[in-house]
Amino acid sequence: MIQYIYDGSFDGLLTSIYEAYYRKEKIDDIVPEDSVEENFLVEKIYMETDREKAEKVYVAIENKISKESLVKVFYAYLSELPRHGINILKYLELGFKVGPQIDLNLSNDIVLKMDNIYHKVAKESHRMIGLIRFKLLENGIFYCSIEPDHNILGLLAPHFASRMMNENWIIHDVKRGIAVLYNKVEWVIKDIGIVDSLMIREEEEEYQELWKTYFKSIAIESKVNPKLQKRNMPRRYWKHLVEKNF
Amino acid sequence: MDVLEKLKILSDAAKYDVSCSSSGSNRKNKKGGLGDAKPSGVCHSWSDDGRCISLLKILMTNYCIYDCAYCVNRSSNDLPRATFTPEEVVDLTINFYKRNYIEGLFLSAAVFRSPNYTMEMIFQVVRKLREEENFNGYIHTKAIPGADKEIVEKVGRFVDRMSVNIELPTEEGLKLLAPQKNKDSILKPMNLIKTGILESTEERKKFRFSPKFVPAGQTTQLIVGATTDPDLKILRLSEGLYNSYGLKRVYYSAFVPVSNNSKLPAIKSPPLVRENRLYQADWLLRFYGFQAKELLDEKKPDFDLALDPKCDWALRNIHLFPVEINKADYNMLLRVPGIGVKSAMRIVQARRFSSIDFYDLKKLGIVLKRAQYFITCKGKYYGLKDMDSEIIRNQLVEKSPMGQGYHQLSLFDQVSLQDKYIQIGGQL
Repeated sequence: MIQYIYDGSFDGLLTSIYEAYYRKEKIDDIVPEDSVEENFLVEKIYMETDREKAEKVYVAIENKISKESLVKVFYAYLSELPRHGINILKYLELGFKVGPQIDLNLSNDIVLKMDNIYHKVAKESHRMIGLIRFKLLENGIFYCSIEPDHNILGLLAPHFASRMMNENWIIHDVKRGIAVLYNKVEWVIKDIGIVDSLMIREEEEEYQELWKTYFKSIAIESKVNPKLQKRNMPRRYWKHLVEKNF
Repeated sequence: MDVLEKLKILSDAAKYDVSCSSSGSNRKNKKGGLGDAKPSGVCHSWSDDGRCISLLKILMTNYCIYDCAYCVNRSSNDLPRATFTPEEVVDLTINFYKRNYIEGLFLSAAVFRSPNYTMEMIFQVVRKLREEENFNGYIHTKAIPGADKEIVEKVGRFVDRMSVNIELPTEEGLKLLAPQKNKDSILKPMNLIKTGILESTEERKKFRFSPKFVPAGQTTQLIVGATTDPDLKILRLSEGLYNSYGLKRVYYSAFVPVSNNSKLPAIKSPPLVRENRLYQADWLLRFYGFQAKELLDEKKPDFDLALDPKCDWALRNIHLFPVEINKADYNMLLRVPGIGVKSAMRIVQARRFSSIDFYDLKKLGIVLKRAQYFITCKGKYYGLKDMDSEIIRNQLVEKSPMGQGYHQLSLFDQVSLQDKYIQIGGQL
């Protein structure tokens, strides 16, 4: 069994796909560096990220398959789900054969799988747009921490960059140790470790208190339905919600 | 009174308005401004009753000159009253919005002094938000029945959505429970908004930058179960509102007993299942190409509480089934119980590539619990022996396992105290 190991970047993944195509090896999976597991039976081949090769694959997907497929591949990469690498490879192999119509063929297992992964990531990203809770820090920056299942920071950033264009804000993915920073002009994604203590502005607690009060009083007691609440707002997100975390 | 106290009172008073969505508008942020609106809308939280919280839903005031029997804010009700100042509402909205608690503001009001005065209060807030704070998030306000044309139009130019609540589906109902209101006073502002929207769309065809008027359209709310009106009347009214008033949504609110007025029905808990059935039927009207008369008629004016309206319709029209999944057109697929808009689209998409069998349907994520009785795949039927509506009905109606005197036995129900010690400590 052969596994390709890439550095975790999208370019790295595309390079691996390029190599897989031209080396014609039968590979078992394409894995990012940080989730490699020790396995006696597996032969690991480390892939050097090559921008030129990645660019070629990128353009080929866009031209020979479709823009939508490129988005699907990118979302599958962001999903960080197990075996996403090999799924992408198989999907693209089929895509280069079939062409732009590939996404219609939902009765094909691999197309369906990619479609499901796409919806999973898109759903979490949409959900998170609502579930983010900013805190106003002493220095005037709006800060929030999240722990999403998928690596969706890059999908969240444009939304907030347009909505809060006149504020400084940080969205911190605590699980992955990365954060998106915005300075009223542009946003960047940077590695950020654990933040121990945040200096919070005085009025912040007041507004949190107001929000909690509102959250409680807006519910109709005779229609209480915790099951529905949990279905819409899964428990794993509660830790970072002002109204649910006390 | 401080803001916290006011917020408690005035959000509590607003909670019976079930409208919550923040969809339908694509307002863009302006340079240096705050906020925008997404056409899909965004939910920000879900309260303990499972409803989504998208907007800061509050009343401007809960002092009311009216005395409608079904309403918590009726003038004869003894409860704490409060009034926000425009500044307080603006401050709450902006600060909640910046913390991403909400998608915008839903400002309603009890009728304070006069309809025009109340509308003017609402206008103060939305003008401040849009002009002074450069706020471009979502705003939904009420149009107060009886307010003048000028003030309704002034507010309409700033907001994304407006609504006038009809509440009671018949004039008799209004006479009985809300004698100070009448049908005309409610329909007049709805008409105003409708013509305003039409005019502004016309205008924008000629001049691209002419101001929008209520771009996300108008909605209304009907109370279910406060009067004896059957579902048929309610559904017909909704159909009429969608067709002739161009409404975006009709909301249904199961009546929550808020007073023991003798004119109101004596119920212990709100009719939630009935509310659910009406929503299902409403969806059938809007997205599935059904008409009210297909779902209900004079002989059967109420929905079956045990079965959803689409199943019910299919069983009454069993001669149309089973349909072949590989051949039926999109509109017919939509009428199969268990197949929704997404599923129907997926089927149509997938079968262009290859014909679909039963297991492909499962893979596509189509729920076959109900659909299996009404379809064939490549000519094969996977349901019961006969296409008999009675037998299928029995399969579909959810049986209540409790209530017949049976219950699941527990291993630990009748454990003696001593046994409990053993359980905990493992020894005596």
